[in-house]
Amino acid sequence: MSVVEARRVTRLFPMAAGPVAAVRDVSLSVADGEYVAVSGPSGCGKSTLLHLVGVVDQPTSGEILFESRDVAALKEAERSRIRLVRIGFVFQRFFLLPMLTARENIELPQAEARVPAADRRARTRELLEYVGLADRADHLPSQLSGGEMQRVAIARALANRPALLVADEPTGELDEQTGGHIADLFDRVHADGTAILVVTHNPVLAARASRRLTMKSGSLVS
Amino acid sequence: MTSLWLAWRTTKRYRVRAVLAVIGVAVIGALLFDMLLLSRGLLASFADLLNSGGFDVRIVGSEGMPIVRLPIAGSTRLATELRALPEVRDVVLIRIERATLWSNERTSRPVTLVGTTQASGGPYTIVRGDDLPRDSSFDRCPILVSRHLAASLGVEPGSSVKISVNPDGVRSALPAVSCRVTGVVNFFFASAGENSVATTMTALQQALSGPGVDADLILAASQPATGPAAAVRAIHRVRPDVRAYSNEDVVALFNQNGFAYFRQISFVLSSLTTVFAFLLVATLLTVSVNQRLGEIAALRALGISRGRIASILLWESALLVGGGALLALPLGGLLALGLDHLLRQMPGLPERLHFFVFQWRAVATHAALFGVTAAAAAAYPMWLTARLPIAATLRREVVG
Repeated sequence: MSVVEARRVTRLFPMAAGPVAAVRDVSLSVADGEYVAVSGPSGCGKSTLLHLVGVVDQPTSGEILFESRDVAALKEAERSRIRLVRIGFVFQRFFLLPMLTARENIELPQAEARVPAADRRARTRELLEYVGLADRADHLPSQLSGGEMQRVAIARALANRPALLVADEPTGELDEQTGGHIADLFDRVHADGTAILVVTHNPVLAARASRRLTMKSGSLVS
Repeated sequence: MTSLWLAWRTTKRYRVRAVLAVIGVAVIGALLFDMLLLSRGLLASFADLLNSGGFDVRIVGSEGMPIVRLPIAGSTRLATELRALPEVRDVVLIRIERATLWSNERTSRPVTLVGTTQASGGPYTIVRGDDLPRDSSFDRCPILVSRHLAASLGVEPGSSVKISVNPDGVRSALPAVSCRVTGVVNFFFASAGENSVATTMTALQQALSGPGVDADLILAASQPATGPAAAVRAIHRVRPDVRAYSNEDVVALFNQNGFAYFRQISFVLSSLTTVFAFLLVATLLTVSVNQRLGEIAALRALGISRGRIASILLWESALLVGGGALLALPLGGLLALGLDHLLRQMPGLPERLHFFVFQWRAVATHAALFGVTAAAAAAYPMWLTARLPIAATLRREVVG
């Protein structure tokens, strides 16, 4: 069964010279527990497709079904709730809250989902161990390396046990070796049964996916 | 992880910005607090002054006003009638004249001479010596002198002096009468440098050379059970030819006329300071939100609701404004003390009159105004984040 399905989606952006199609008539389905990587040159529409599938943007035409629900028919509060509990987001620039420690950053989405404090603490401990940062729990993002920040961001994305993890260039800001560690972590997440859709330039990371897609000029070409 | 907690952590994170905002709001808030104290301070102080003598109804002749006095014809008989009213507890006759006080053959001072039938506990505090005696049969002209007068003439309790009265508009050749200083006092209604003397009505009548001298002011104390308004009605019922005002009436009259100026100034300055506080915090929050747009878009992508982000911003605003507003109270208090001291140097003001008077009502208004300011200052940044396009912002952050 599909976690998310994009049916002939197009996303146009209005420009002074006329609308530009960042995504053009794309259909894509990510099954339960599947690991999909999307590659392609810069500006080909990978991130836009990821935002559509990750329910942070709406297509100009076509439809997105998340766990069989038409996203377009949902209110913003319901879409926000889906992002909170069913989707985990990992960003190229981590976007950890700078005033919160690693532990607090991981607890934040759980608190928003009203997970009881004791369960929250236990889940956060578990995730910090999972990403190998149990000893850095009380460090602020500014006290962590890039790789460590991205591991905290992955732990935060997994906090509410999402059905789908979406990652936008998760190794884009990291060196090759650290990127390799993040790729290993994605392998573990996949092995634990979470579906992953990753957009990446990194061939090492893309090679780990069970299905690799390429985008060009807003369309999937393979 | 409440919104308040997150706002507090954000405020701590951007410490310098927060400190600057709190200081800015505190300075503006101190001015606002002072304007609020000023807007009703003089009135409250004036009311306090009126009530300080223990009399809550003032009676003047039909031609008179509470502060412009003319003799009340048949005032002694009127006092007897008033004392008989069940709504009235006590009645005191007052007559004020200009006079000259001689400490010896060569040294004299012009004074304000107040004759009263109130034997003791008048509108003054005794600094040295004793109050006027209850029974004046042994002391024909006992007097209380103001501290300033005692210092300038070198008189003390027990000193003998002479007083000659100079009635207004009358070329006087009244003989001086011998008096004895019983005490040195601070008069509630006198200004700091004023030469004031109080004596008994009998002594004043003697100085004016005759017993048929009418009072120009009658003070009455109402019965606590009925209150001053009932006493005023009763007085008008029995003597429609005089004018009676409760202290509240006098304060209301002054509020409409004499003090409107202060209220208007304070309203204009309060409004301006509130707008400054709003602009300061709104600008800081807007700049801060614009710097954190990527972070906010990421939070929205993670499923953190618009409401939660809005409430974090609201709390941030409340912390900055609230911190400043709290600090503004002691700061404004100190500033008010200094300004009050300066303003009270004006000549002719009663020593006990203050321009800035602490009132809980001013604190409540200060808090309410800053509450509204905090909400208004957060409104634009809240609106900005509520309509933030998540995908476009994330894209911009990466491209940028």
